[in-house]
Amino acid sequence: MTTEFDPVELEILWQSLISTVNEQARALQRAAFSPIVREAGDLANAVFDRRGRMVAQAVTGTPGHINSLAIGAAKMLEEYPLDSLEPGDVLITNDPYKTAGQLLDVTVLVPAWRDGVPIAFFGSTIHHTDVGGYGIGAGGRDVFEEGLWIPICKLMKKGERNEDVWKFILSNVRQPDHMAGDLHAQMASGQVGAQRLNMLCETHGLNDIEDLADEIINRSEAATRDNIRGLPSGRYDASAVLDLADGSVIDIVCSIAVDTDAGEITVDYEGTSEASPWGINVVKNYTHAYTTFTVRSVLSPEIPNNHGSLAPIKVVAPEGSIVNAIPPQPGTARHVVGMFLPNALLKALAQIKPQEAMAEGSGAVWTMQVNGNYPDGSPFITAMFTYAGGVGARASKPGLSACSYPTGVSAVPIEVVEASAPILFRQKSLRPESGGAGAQIGGLGQTIEFTVDTEKPWQLNAVTSRLKHAPEGLFGGEPGSAGGFTVNDEAVTTQARITLGPEDVVRLDLPGGGGYGAADQS
Amino acid sequence: MAESHDPDWRLAVDIGGTFTDFVLLDASCGRVVVDKTLTTPNAPLDAVRTGVLQLLAKAGVKPSDITAPIVHATTLITNALIEGKIGRAGLVATKGFGDTLLIRDEHRYDMYDLQIEFPAPPIPRDRTFEIDERASAEGSILLEPSGAALDQLTRQLRTANVEAVAICLLNSYVNPTNEQRVAAHLRRELNVPVCISSDISPQIREYPRMITTACNAATMPVIGPYLDDLQKWLAAEGFGGSVLMMLSNGGVVSADDAARAPIRLVESGPAAGALAGSWFAKRLGEDRLLCFDMGGTTAKACLIENGEPGLTNTFEVARAYRFKKGSGFPVSVPSVDLVEIGAGGGSMARVDQFGLLKVGPESAGADPGPVSYDNGGTITAVTDADVLLGLLDPASFLGGDMPLNASLADAATGKIASKLNLSTIDTAAGIHEVVDQNMAAAARMHGVEMGIDLRGVSLIAFGGAGPVHACGVADLLESDRVIFPVNASVLSAFGTLVSPVRIDLARSLPRLIDGIDTAERDALLDELRNEGRRVLSAAGVPDDDVVFRYGVDARYAGQGNEITIWVGEGEHWPATSEQVHDAFESEYKRIYGMTIPDVAIEGITWRLSASASTTVVEPDEQVKSATGPAAPRSHRPMVFGRGQDPVETPVYARSELGAGSTFSGPAVVEERETTSVIRPGWDVEVSTDGSLIATRVERNATNETGAA
Repeated sequence: MTTEFDPVELEILWQSLISTVNEQARALQRAAFSPIVREAGDLANAVFDRRGRMVAQAVTGTPGHINSLAIGAAKMLEEYPLDSLEPGDVLITNDPYKTAGQLLDVTVLVPAWRDGVPIAFFGSTIHHTDVGGYGIGAGGRDVFEEGLWIPICKLMKKGERNEDVWKFILSNVRQPDHMAGDLHAQMASGQVGAQRLNMLCETHGLNDIEDLADEIINRSEAATRDNIRGLPSGRYDASAVLDLADGSVIDIVCSIAVDTDAGEITVDYEGTSEASPWGINVVKNYTHAYTTFTVRSVLSPEIPNNHGSLAPIKVVAPEGSIVNAIPPQPGTARHVVGMFLPNALLKALAQIKPQEAMAEGSGAVWTMQVNGNYPDGSPFITAMFTYAGGVGARASKPGLSACSYPTGVSAVPIEVVEASAPILFRQKSLRPESGGAGAQIGGLGQTIEFTVDTEKPWQLNAVTSRLKHAPEGLFGGEPGSAGGFTVNDEAVTTQARITLGPEDVVRLDLPGGGGYGAADQS
Repeated sequence: MAESHDPDWRLAVDIGGTFTDFVLLDASCGRVVVDKTLTTPNAPLDAVRTGVLQLLAKAGVKPSDITAPIVHATTLITNALIEGKIGRAGLVATKGFGDTLLIRDEHRYDMYDLQIEFPAPPIPRDRTFEIDERASAEGSILLEPSGAALDQLTRQLRTANVEAVAICLLNSYVNPTNEQRVAAHLRRELNVPVCISSDISPQIREYPRMITTACNAATMPVIGPYLDDLQKWLAAEGFGGSVLMMLSNGGVVSADDAARAPIRLVESGPAAGALAGSWFAKRLGEDRLLCFDMGGTTAKACLIENGEPGLTNTFEVARAYRFKKGSGFPVSVPSVDLVEIGAGGGSMARVDQFGLLKVGPESAGADPGPVSYDNGGTITAVTDADVLLGLLDPASFLGGDMPLNASLADAATGKIASKLNLSTIDTAAGIHEVVDQNMAAAARMHGVEMGIDLRGVSLIAFGGAGPVHACGVADLLESDRVIFPVNASVLSAFGTLVSPVRIDLARSLPRLIDGIDTAERDALLDELRNEGRRVLSAAGVPDDDVVFRYGVDARYAGQGNEITIWVGEGEHWPATSEQVHDAFESEYKRIYGMTIPDVAIEGITWRLSASASTTVVEPDEQVKSATGPAAPRSHRPMVFGRGQDPVETPVYARSELGAGSTFSGPAVVEERETTSVIRPGWDVEVSTDGSLIATRVERNATNETGAA
């Protein structure tokens, strides 16, 4: 028997489902230990139906996590089908190739039970502080060197800790307290969601959410296909060039095919560079995540993100290329490539919807981690902190200066970093003139300088990009300024961790965004 | 007036966005007189003058009869920031960090929207000046500002012709010496008000601290002259009392202190409303009460727990882009913790691309207003739906001063109905239900943030639309009691009169709780106590009457969000490390349902609340006892849910209801400013002060799923 919903009922149930996952995300962010989760909001929460389809997601976090979670949860349920689960079971994994592409991102799936039947799954992916191994950065030579790999398994069995799993995990990470605390936070937030969902079913007389999920997913999919049918059909090609500190150059080549008959868009990365020896390789899930995110932000940003709105957007990527990594290719710093993908995609989309697109920007946020010793000799290690450059200009607005894109993460405040380690910042200022000129000017990059107050050597694990090839302008706009990464005014030419001395000054000049339209057309 | 005792008149004023409200209370007998006038945004004092004199005349009171302090709440600061009608302030930052207001926290508040915008900061970059100085995160001064640098700064600010100055230097939350040094120099050299971040918001995180200090400086030239003019006028009229200002956290301070820290007034009006809610909660013996305030554009929910509203240290003001969270200024001052969403009588209905009914957050506001205002509005709003459902009487809206046009509402709603393939009346019922759901969801989120399950909480309804929707929201929150207070429309002004003089002070000093250097902590608290005494003394509170309460924002070492725990009162910090530990763990468990063993606890920000111990005046308005059963003035058909037939429903006049009378829903109670809707399944008793106390007697069937 299928439950039907009228337009008022469906609106109420749909919004209730979204607010349920929002509450889940808020509870998680508040309880998290990982600084990148609580200060920067690096998390994803979503609810899945019995078929493993994402029905609603929290309006927070990063596209890389959310859309990777959308696929990852289904893979977890393939391994543990519904009939293998018992009340009180919780699933976990950080399998990079099945979820978000780096071991630090741990996914926890909490089933919601109703009358002895699992009716939904509350999933969360968060960036943990540490999973052992190489740590944050691009220097791990394969996935095994990068850290602890947690296969899909039960974290909890019938409400009790699966002790062997916990022992393995907590014995292999540098901050077991934080790991345990964050896993608890993930489970607790899932329980919040499960309770709320049961109340919702109670109030509205539902046995499960399958019919509701069908309505939400079908309507979202139909609306997305309708939008695609309104576009000019054809193939739209574009490419963008990403260069890294060691001088390596990566070509991102994409071809967007708009099929107005089927109401589908296919993005093909044929021609994109091969996988890198550095830990910057992107798994297919993560490529899919940033691709669907970028297409949807131009095509239909107002349609909620779920299985249905993602379905009409297909992604094809050559296996073993840098956008479809296979085991054991390393990928801890895959964000530097994954978050760069919109630069190529937006250029193709600009040919389809010029008013909605924007010029190239600085690409991924630059990530830093510092470790060393206090003047008294005791060791310190910072959490990861990130900085953003300029975003590309838009058709009718300038680019945003020093603002994260495509992620939604925040920078960790200078004072918080300084309070956590003996780092002293000399400046954090906008880079004048770094935005590309145009009818609309690109967003400014920023300059950051810091030293470490120590008497011993210290180490910097930095992932930077766009140091030679500047962000291009669009429709005649000028390029922004390329980035700079120097120590004592000398360029750093490696992506690996570097060892520095007490007097050394690190300087980051983050790129500016490209301009939109020729300057004289304003 | 013939009184058997000497009257002791107290006056309160609340400047709101639309109306300025006035309450006069005779503390000797509890008598209350109220009035309201339209706010005059360009010269707010005009409305105050008119209203005060009108009210005094109504009560037969002379200005010189008022000798107690006049308590004042206002939205002046919020509106100044929203509309950008602010002063020409300058900003001083540490060398290398002058772009902090432009860089913000680098966060994009909407992931999918490529067109987002941020508001221009209240102090532009060309009036921001850097000075070479530095403090470390541990609090040592690495570099003092040189005399030459101070002289240059003075010249720059003078040339920029600033009316006020904000100073925010790195790590000043832990050592304010350099800020104080710069401020002392500028105060000597420039004849403009100067504020420093270590006074205004001494908390870690440079962007929130700087934006808070900048908003403060930019509004000093707004509030200062207003308060001067007000005080001059009051003196000229012969008023005896000084002026006290209501702060965002519900405290009140002298006008001079308010003028120094106007950003602390940013939620003044809602804080006053929450205090009125607190007063009712105590009086009604409710441990937990949800203040539900629904106006024309937004609805606010604020939970009163154990007689007090929760406090928060961040509040976002002046959201610039589609009212979106993250698009405003994240000011960091102690504020009453409340949630506000775009849901009001003016919230407009539409059909989205999925063919679903959406309500708000866009509002028709007061101009053109809902369609039925007949003022050019064309899109059905919540008020229009309420008219079609029969809940509001078009003829008696605002006491009949502003009759509504129901047929226009019907035509506009019909357009939406045809898109939804529903009848017009079901569409109106749907609009009513969707907006109730939106408000209930926001209230639940507020509960999650406070770690509280709101199910079963009692509601108190105010604002123009609050009493119309309160029972519906209560049904969704599974609440069993709704209070419709008397004078709901001036409740905020009323709230200022029933609260003691109070200020909350805070300073960051991150330290592990175990093994804390108590001398260091006590020195910090000493400073806060001295400041508390000074502020209360300025508000007329004798030193002996000051009560100090202590708290700390604490977390597990390594976490990033703190929870505030209060540990007791006294002349000194009253708790041992163990007690702090226990208090933290029990609060943490309450919020997150678990504690984390073997992780140290870290205190981040130390709090002191200084308040006057004197008891506050008690309003004791009495209505006449009912002499018989409540008699409806009329009946009209009303609809209480989708797919339901109209019900012939009694309409009572609030002024005719005597204490002790009872009646059952469905019913409505009309007064000039609002209508209280009692849904089916609720019973009402009129209390001795005239408040309606509605109690649910049966699970309401009207919100059950109506499968189409």
